[in-house]
Parts: sequence; structure tokens; C-alpha cells
Amino acid sequence: MLVIGIDGATWKVIRPNIERLPHIHQLMEEGSYATIHLTQKPWSPSVWCSMFSGRSSEEHRHKDFVQNGHIVRREDIKVEFIWDLLDKNGISVKALNIPFVVPPYCFKVKFEPVAHGLPIEEPELLEEITKVTEKALEVLNNDRPEVFIVVYTALDRLSHLHWGEPLLVDYYKKIDNALGKLLKYDNEVIVISDHGFCAYDEAPIRTLLKHTPRGEIKGDHHPDAILITKNINFHISQPTDVFYCIKEKYLGQANE
Amino acid sequence: MSKILELPNDLYEKIEETIKGTEFKSVEEYVIFVLEEVLKEEEEAEPLSPEEEAQVKERLKGLGYL
Repeated sequence: MLVIGIDGATWKVIRPNIERLPHIHQLMEEGSYATIHLTQKPWSPSVWCSMFSGRSSEEHRHKDFVQNGHIVRREDIKVEFIWDLLDKNGISVKALNIPFVVPPYCFKVKFEPVAHGLPIEEPELLEEITKVTEKALEVLNNDRPEVFIVVYTALDRLSHLHWGEPLLVDYYKKIDNALGKLLKYDNEVIVISDHGFCAYDEAPIRTLLKHTPRGEIKGDHHPDAILITKNINFHISQPTDVFYCIKEKYLGQANE
Repeated sequence: MSKILELPNDLYEKIEETIKGTEFKSVEEYVIFVLEEVLKEEEEAEPLSPEEEAQVKERLKGLGYL
């Protein structure tokens, strides 16, 4: 199974530009797609953590990248992630660039994220897409596990500062191109975002500070995330369902 | 499933000496332990230096997270 996370991806950009995103378009036609209306705060560290631990934000209690002045590390979060569980049960699994912490977390993959997983400048954003894709292809070509999870963070970072600009659509095209390279490797696919995006002043839940040392924030997180699946027979309505979907397929006990 | 690896005699004997009186019951057990530890280290991310932590916080501020 291949799980591709796209931090901050939203139908608000994908739908009006679908003809320019051929691989996403094809996947939608071949599989099924939906909007995930988050019941938890649209906040990346917490949502990615829920998605791969099956725990609500109240249960895993991982609220932020930085808590009490300290950057939170994997070891500080007292949960078992899907990769821990599968690995313990002899199922081969790898995870690349999972941004519930900074730098993003990797499981059984050696990877140095661009700008500690917080690319901001244009060359860094491009480099992230290239580096993550190259590493993902290396994993898929050389030592392909039964379950591979990979997350792109560039769209989220770009949407903070450039929401509404034509530049954003170009990055969706780059992500689409990257997806095209990865989707060839598996027939069972989940493509999912941790939250959507919208103009800063339209956000139903304000999550970001408007004024930053880098200027004004133009976009804020929106609780509508994207979901596209292919050959996945499990109803995913919230991020935690991704954990249970993988667990049921490989360990056969979805909700225990 | 397992694979067979060859070790040079002198290395094998050195390990035999090393594990005498330890919890390792065989050379094989010791070699597997050492290799697993080495691989684990390679897979684990390097901790951030204080300078890198400061850079991360600066970037989080730049994105409106802090």
C-alpha cells in the first residue's frame, strides 16, 4: 500500500485546476475521492500524529511543534504509530518525511529534510519536492516495503505566504508530476492532506499568527482536507481512519 | 528465514573471547545485536544542534506557527 500525504492540499485549488493536474485527475477517475471535514483542529502536528497513531488529539496530546519552549521529538509522544505496529508484527514498512514533528520523522529511511522540513524560500520549496520524490523512488525501486508512507510539506509552507497567487498552482503541478512518478508503483493508494487552506480572513478556525518576521500570512488552515483512494475498501472519514485502514488490511483488527 | 554469512577465523575467535562471561550465548547472537544497533543508529535522525533549533524556531515564526 502506498500512502501519500500532501500537507495543506485543498480542493479549492485542485478542482478549478484539475485539467492541469493529470495524475491527480486520473487517480480520481480510477478511484474515489472525498472531503474530510476534520473534527479536530486543522493543525499539522496534531493531525498527522492522529492519522498515523489512530489516536485523537486528546489521546495523543501532541499539540504543537514546540511545547514549553522545546522542539517536540518523536520520543516525547507516547503513542505507537502504524509503522511501529506493523514492524513489530513482521510487516515491512517505511515512512518518509512525516511532519508531525520538525524535522519531519522517518522510519527505516535515512533522509535529511530540506531546511529541517520547513522550506520557505522558492528554491527550498522546489528542492523539497525533488528530494522527497528522489528518496521515495529510491525506496520503491531498491527495497520496496509492503507499506510505504511519504509526505510532501511544500504546499503548506507556500500556502501560508502565497495563498491566492498564481505561483501556488505551479506548485500543485509539481506535486502532481511527483505523484505521477510514485503512483506507478502501487495499486492500493491513499492520497490525503492533513487540512485544507483558505484566505486568512476566511478561516473558520484561526490557527496562524497574521504578522510574522517574514511578512503577512495570506492563507490559513481550513478544516476541509482532501482524500483520494484507489482499491481501498475502508471508509475513511477522519485522519485516524488511515491508521485503522492500514491496520485492518495487514493485521486484520481494525478497531481494537 | 535466514542467510549464512562468513566471518574470518580471527574475527570469530576475537568475538568468542569478547562474549565470554556476557549475556551473549553465541557469536551469532552478538553479531546480530551489533549489526542491528549500527543500522538503528544510521536510521535515526541526528539531534538538532542549539543553532539548528534556533533556525527551526525562526522558520516556525516566519510561517506564523509561533
